[in-house]
Amino acid sequence: MSYLRSTFRILSVNLKHNFIPHLLIALVIAFMTQVLSGITALNTREAAQPLERMLSLTGIVLLTPIFLPEQNENIRDLIRSKRTDYLAVCVIRLLYSILFLAVIIGFFTYMMLCRESNVTIEHFVGGFASALFLGALGFFFAGLTQNTITGYMVSAIYYIANYSLKDELKNFYLFSMSAGSFTEKYWLLGGSVVIFAVTFFLLKYSRK
Amino acid sequence: MLFLKECKKVLFSLTFVIYCITALAMYFTQFHGDIGAPLEAPAPGRDDYGMTAKEIPELLMPEAVWSLITEYYSGSFTAYPYGFIKHVKLTEKQKARMEEIILEVSGLTMQELEAHEYFKIPEDLTYEHFRELMREADKIIGGGSKYGDNFIVGNFSYVPKTYEDALLEYEQFLYEDKITGAYARLYCDYLGIIVSVLPVFVAAALANRDKKSRMEQLIFARKISSVKLIFTRFFSLTAIMLTPVVITAVIAQIKVNSIYPNGTMDSFALFKYAAFWLVPNIMAASAVGMLITEIASGLLAIFIQGVWWITSISAATSGLTGRIGKFTLIMRHNSLMGYDAFFDRWENIVFNRIFFTVVSILGIALTAFIYEQKRKGVFNVLFKINFQNSKRQSKA
Repeated sequence: MSYLRSTFRILSVNLKHNFIPHLLIALVIAFMTQVLSGITALNTREAAQPLERMLSLTGIVLLTPIFLPEQNENIRDLIRSKRTDYLAVCVIRLLYSILFLAVIIGFFTYMMLCRESNVTIEHFVGGFASALFLGALGFFFAGLTQNTITGYMVSAIYYIANYSLKDELKNFYLFSMSAGSFTEKYWLLGGSVVIFAVTFFLLKYSRK
Repeated sequence: MLFLKECKKVLFSLTFVIYCITALAMYFTQFHGDIGAPLEAPAPGRDDYGMTAKEIPELLMPEAVWSLITEYYSGSFTAYPYGFIKHVKLTEKQKARMEEIILEVSGLTMQELEAHEYFKIPEDLTYEHFRELMREADKIIGGGSKYGDNFIVGNFSYVPKTYEDALLEYEQFLYEDKITGAYARLYCDYLGIIVSVLPVFVAAALANRDKKSRMEQLIFARKISSVKLIFTRFFSLTAIMLTPVVITAVIAQIKVNSIYPNGTMDSFALFKYAAFWLVPNIMAASAVGMLITEIASGLLAIFIQGVWWITSISAATSGLTGRIGKFTLIMRHNSLMGYDAFFDRWENIVFNRIFFTVVSILGIALTAFIYEQKRKGVFNVLFKINFQNSKRQSKA
């Protein structure tokens, strides 16, 4: 019970103090996606474009700043003096951020469905996979360098690279659904899980 | 010396190293590898010299009207207002006006239009009036459609190039561009993609550094004026971020020389183009990074520059040559040819680059002003007052 209670407390404090600005920016991106690109009456490939090219950026915004609060040295010292493991707090932050990411992309896909676009569950999974992978890259570099801006930068560079390096990126190409292929999405999902695991592993052993 | 100290700070920052690696990777993967063989003069008597967009009213008008009628029948109009596809459905009022336009340009009556009858462009319809009506149709659709000024010629008046066309282009490449001018445009096209966004990360990271290392209060107490400090930081950022540009420009110059060993070239074209084309981009992204980080946060600075970059690059994907507007952030010209298309917009281009330079300097002046207010404590007090007021109001 005490474990659940402390998890709930960590969750509520982090949602209240650390998450809201990033969530707001992710929502602004979702809003802008439907303004800049149409979401009405799109065919299967066209419907993948807003999900992969615009909405995937919400992954960077939500997952990169997981380690941001501890960049303030006062907070970092305070957190490390607590009995609760710092990385456990980060896992909780990561899980709720992924959940919100899925909700935003899911809701957006549903909106497209309501506007007569030809979307299926694959669009949701594909859009989510691209966003998750971009976020995972940012998460990895932000965690390793203890500098969130570096995380944003590397994810942004990877995103830009997708505009011109389709053949070089192979299975990790973010916009594959717009080109009619879904296989890459399994690689992106699997790759994201590996990146999260490696980040936690490195952080755990680099602190010892 | 402050300038050198600031340069050193930028030079040894992680974000700058990443920026350099990315600029070099962009140069080698996109430009260097693709320009291996020299361009050869077109040989006479070939079947195909490629295609070109030429404004030929007799060709353009019926094609555009046919497309407009087809889209009208289908009930939706395709457009790319920001580079992303949109299928626009018109309201009843818009539909009524669109019908009037179609009837005027096709010479059909409403009954004939509904019966899907063939049309013939009315003889008394002038080309100028036709283009006005197409502009109106584009406006009704919401911009970015096939009928707007930017797209109508490329969509409906695309013709095969003749030998004379191809020869003229090649001669412009040799004698007007002096070879390197054409390569310099292609080089700036690629590097511009990177330098119009990545400097914001370097600038934001540096602005954050003082806050993170708790140096801000110490600097606030120093004698140096805010204007001198902020402008020195800005110019050191711009100067250091030019380093990979200068390095790649030198490599590019050597490469072009090796491709055309006997060619008559402008040896400074790459540097002239880089200074004129890329420096305003570096300045703009740095200014956004410094200003927004000073006012709010690095995250917001990155977000704002990122949105600006995406809308600009997406809008450019529908035309990579000769479509540079007065306020286009990322100028694109992805071709060694198209000398005329580029210089037809020369006034726009000059205005564009001066505009971004001036706006960047004004942005930095504003940053210095805000920094000075922070040193005096005014900026923070303003925030506190607003916050307290809002709390009182909410209690009431």
